[in-house]
Amino acid sequence: MSLERKDEHDHEGWMKERDLTPVETVYLTTLMWLDKRLRIVDYLELLEDLYYKINMQMPKSHTEQYNLDNKFWYWYPLYALGSFSTIAYVVAAISGALLGFYYSPATTGDPSAAYNSITFIMTDLRFGFFLRSLHRWSAQVMVAAVFLHMLRVYFTGAYKEPRELNWIIGIVLISLTMVFGYTGYLLPWDQLAFWAGQIGVEMALSVPLAGEWVAQLLFGGFTLSQSTLQRMYILHVFFLPFITTALIAIHVGIVWMQGIAEPH
Amino acid sequence: MSENDTTTDGHETATDGGQEAAADGSGIVAPDDETPTWSERKERTQGLSQLTYEYFERARREDQDLRTESDYVERDVLAFPVWPHEMIRNLALTSFFTGMIIFLSAALPPHIGAPANPSQTPAVILPDWYLYWSFGLLKLGPLNPELSLLGGKKLMADRTYGVVANLVVVGFIAIVPFLNKGAARRPVEQPFWAAVGVFGVIFAATISALSVKNLVPMDSHLLFDLTFLLPFVGGFLTYAVLKSMREGYMFELNRRYYRLRPPK
Repeated sequence: MSLERKDEHDHEGWMKERDLTPVETVYLTTLMWLDKRLRIVDYLELLEDLYYKINMQMPKSHTEQYNLDNKFWYWYPLYALGSFSTIAYVVAAISGALLGFYYSPATTGDPSAAYNSITFIMTDLRFGFFLRSLHRWSAQVMVAAVFLHMLRVYFTGAYKEPRELNWIIGIVLISLTMVFGYTGYLLPWDQLAFWAGQIGVEMALSVPLAGEWVAQLLFGGFTLSQSTLQRMYILHVFFLPFITTALIAIHVGIVWMQGIAEPH
Repeated sequence: MSENDTTTDGHETATDGGQEAAADGSGIVAPDDETPTWSERKERTQGLSQLTYEYFERARREDQDLRTESDYVERDVLAFPVWPHEMIRNLALTSFFTGMIIFLSAALPPHIGAPANPSQTPAVILPDWYLYWSFGLLKLGPLNPELSLLGGKKLMADRTYGVVANLVVVGFIAIVPFLNKGAARRPVEQPFWAAVGVFGVIFAATISALSVKNLVPMDSHLLFDLTFLLPFVGGFLTYAVLKSMREGYMFELNRRYYRLRPPK
């Protein structure tokens, strides 16, 4: 027995008497080192609390209670549409980031620099055609999946009572998906893109009261120009990804908390 | 802390506020029993936070009551659990579909049109397919009423009418959960709302066809009439079929339900 004071905070003494494996020792030493500086235990407590909250004991689900799996299994692929659109979104994000390495949003030159960079990607860049193709197809598939997802939710009545808020977030998300598609459609700056942009400006100008303001804000003027392309580009690669990713996280988080609305 | 209290009880004057306590911080203990616990601190707060606290207490009690009076087998979440059940199913399905995206993009690379040319309007101007419905809504000019009150003039320009129609459609979809309440989930249980859904799906298809009326081999007046006729036909048919199915279907459903869970 030594004269040195040993109380419950003597972590090193505690470690010595525990006879730990090297892995455990390293783990505990790191944990203590961090905890002494950042007081992680407080946050761990929060996590623990959270763990018990999400694993709250609740009654058995309807499907399990009445053993309805045998009756509903063939509907389940429709329940994967939400995941599927998220996966398509991730694929589009990765391929889009890679495309961004080669694309320049400029209307200067004839044909424009934007058009030239698309031509470069499609013809000269190794696997460039595949990259652009992947981006485009995953975007198409995402829109289709989101639309079908909405139909599934509608026809199974999954938007009802605790889930109204998520339905509205879903409406915002499907709109954002379409805006994503529209802004991306303009980026190659070919004939279709240009004239689709023209229709966009006219639609913006037709908005009651705020029309001109909206056109200025989104398209940078009443006719298409460099600023239109640049705004579409920044919307497509900066604003929309942030907003959409955050909303998807909230959307999925709410589904996680509430569980899947199962068939009744 | 209780162990610590008993050991330091004997020489409390030495540890409480003494120099020894300051050395390693281990002597920091609550000075007496009057120190409020965290729940007591919460209870002492005023105003809105007090109300929030009270409501949380009530909600917790409500959960507890529901759990104790429930005769269900206890399980993790109320609805179908996202993890692991739904997630594993979805991973299997989505990996298949991701393979499909990759296959499609390798097989069908996107097309690039002619470069943008503001001085030459192409014969066909189109957005991507998923925006056809919105494009079609811009062509509702013939439905814009000429009000006799305004001397045969229209209340708003045709294109404003089209943009407002977009907002009306999206707005209606957004408020569905607040219009259709109740526990009914299956289409047979709610023929009206199923009919509304079928109306919407068919309308989305027909209005998309209307938006590309130049390309549809059909008289454009006939197409315009069909655009609004077909959704109603589809809706009425759905309603009629589901309404006539309903009685037998609900009988089966109820019989199944009461056989599994006989009334007390």
